[in-house]
Amino acid sequence: MATPVPVMDDISIAALTADPYPSFRRMREAASAVWVSDARINLVTRFDDIMTVERDHGRFASTNPGSLMNKVMGHSLMRKDDEAHQVERKAIEPSFRPGVVKNHWTPVFDAIADRLIDAFVESGETDLFGSFAAPMASLCLNEMIGFRNVAWQDLAAWSQALMDGVSNYGTVPETATRAAAASDAIDAAIDAVLDRYRDRPDATILSSMLHAEHAHSIEQIRANIKVIIGGGLNEPRDSILTTVYGLLLNPDQRARVEADPKLYRPAFEEAVRWVSPIGMYPRRVTRDTVLGDTALKEGDQLGICVGAANRDQSRFSDPDAYDVFRDRGQHLGFGAGPHFCAGTWVARQMVGEIAVPKLFDRLPNMQLDDDKPARLSGWVFRGPVSLPVRWEV
Amino acid sequence: MVRITFIQPDGSRREIEAEPGDSVMQAALAHNVEGITAECNGSAACATCHAYFQEDRLGGLDAMAEHENDMLDFAACERRSGSRLSCQVKVTDALDGMTVTLPEMQ
Ligand code: HEM
Ligand code: FES
Repeated sequence: MATPVPVMDDISIAALTADPYPSFRRMREAASAVWVSDARINLVTRFDDIMTVERDHGRFASTNPGSLMNKVMGHSLMRKDDEAHQVERKAIEPSFRPGVVKNHWTPVFDAIADRLIDAFVESGETDLFGSFAAPMASLCLNEMIGFRNVAWQDLAAWSQALMDGVSNYGTVPETATRAAAASDAIDAAIDAVLDRYRDRPDATILSSMLHAEHAHSIEQIRANIKVIIGGGLNEPRDSILTTVYGLLLNPDQRARVEADPKLYRPAFEEAVRWVSPIGMYPRRVTRDTVLGDTALKEGDQLGICVGAANRDQSRFSDPDAYDVFRDRGQHLGFGAGPHFCAGTWVARQMVGEIAVPKLFDRLPNMQLDDDKPARLSGWVFRGPVSLPVRWEV
Repeated sequence: MVRITFIQPDGSRREIEAEPGDSVMQAALAHNVEGITAECNGSAACATCHAYFQEDRLGGLDAMAEHENDMLDFAACERRSGSRLSCQVKVTDALDGMTVTLPEMQ
């Protein structure tokens, strides 16, 4: 028998932000969906339930009339379903195909990684967050979009302002103002370059949008570029750091990976499972229904916690451990279903084949800095916010 | 109903009755056929629904889009002439009696 969504009012956002995994475990054990009062949303945390949700977007929609994201960024493909979604998704695909990533983007990403490492390789210590992961992700995304003359710091700041705006449920006026300013700056950066791609198509995302069979309108371009800036920067940044952190914490695994560079790919994939950069994303219940053991009502907002499902003990043995060598099996770090991450192959290449291997290759005796411990934060988005390392020069 | 026979890497065979209009991937999952992961559930984005279709009957299948063609090069197992993403192939009468072989790994 399906029971109503149980209420958990002793789980605070502060606790989730510090370390969501103990709370996620409690939620998984409690029910298929749990109302967390402090977060004001029904959280879905079990692997199998999330698969059910992702396989049935008729009952569990991405379209969301009241979405703050639509207000902040415009109506992007992330908040559309069915045909409307597919048309836009197909339009951007050419920039994201694995073959295009390999042949076109790899040399670009390679050069960026080397240039960044050149700048600190002689210093013997650095915080990889600011010196490497953040600029790497931002510079690569800048190239992929096709912007010119946008500083990586600006792109990163716009991304943060948009993400803050989306999670600011109308409470802090300055956050809304900053998000609106970022949105205007992005529109201007698009206007500054768009014409150059009209007659000269290339692999950039802006070019793909213009030259698709169903070309994007300017409103679609603006909204989808914003969603790509909001969702294509922090995740590669965080997964670079999490992969490095996982390997540095586990010297035996690190040694095996360094000895066989093919293993950087599973090392990356395991990092995305272990500390999923997107821990939670929303869906809306379209009609009264049952999910697993829980009854849901039309209009209920669900938070799909892939960060929790990726630690589901019914699916992964010893789920809290970082283990490059665990049995190959599906994880949900890139989502599932129609909105499965469009940037999956970009991230695999950028992080798993370029950023992380290059770092270990060029800083062969890199270690965690004992005096300055790494710090991780977040639950909707999660990753290291500081990763100080040392090496001998 | 359209009969499709799935062959596992170990040679074991299983015939299912597929619903026209579904994709071959959906038909396989609906009948709990092992060997297809379908991480992206049909978005042509994951290449974990790779399968080898009967090579002498490929002409009867939905045409392959450029995107699928690119993606197939990155499937976990080698690409062969019968390789398709099973989520991009619709079940039609043209598939009746077809065999589809699953790769070692997705
Ligand atoms: C390790 C890195 C990454 C992770 C873990 C990740 C994760 C995700 C997840 C979980 C979703 C699904 C969200 C939902 O269903 O609501 C998603 C969607 C998306 N991601 Fe990623 N992502 C990563 C990298 C990237 C990159 C580098 C880009 C772009 C350059 C990107 C672009 C997108 C886009 C455009 C969507 C929306 C797809 C759609 O709605 O059809 N992602 N990502
Ligand atoms: S299910 Fe992902 S490509 Fe077919």
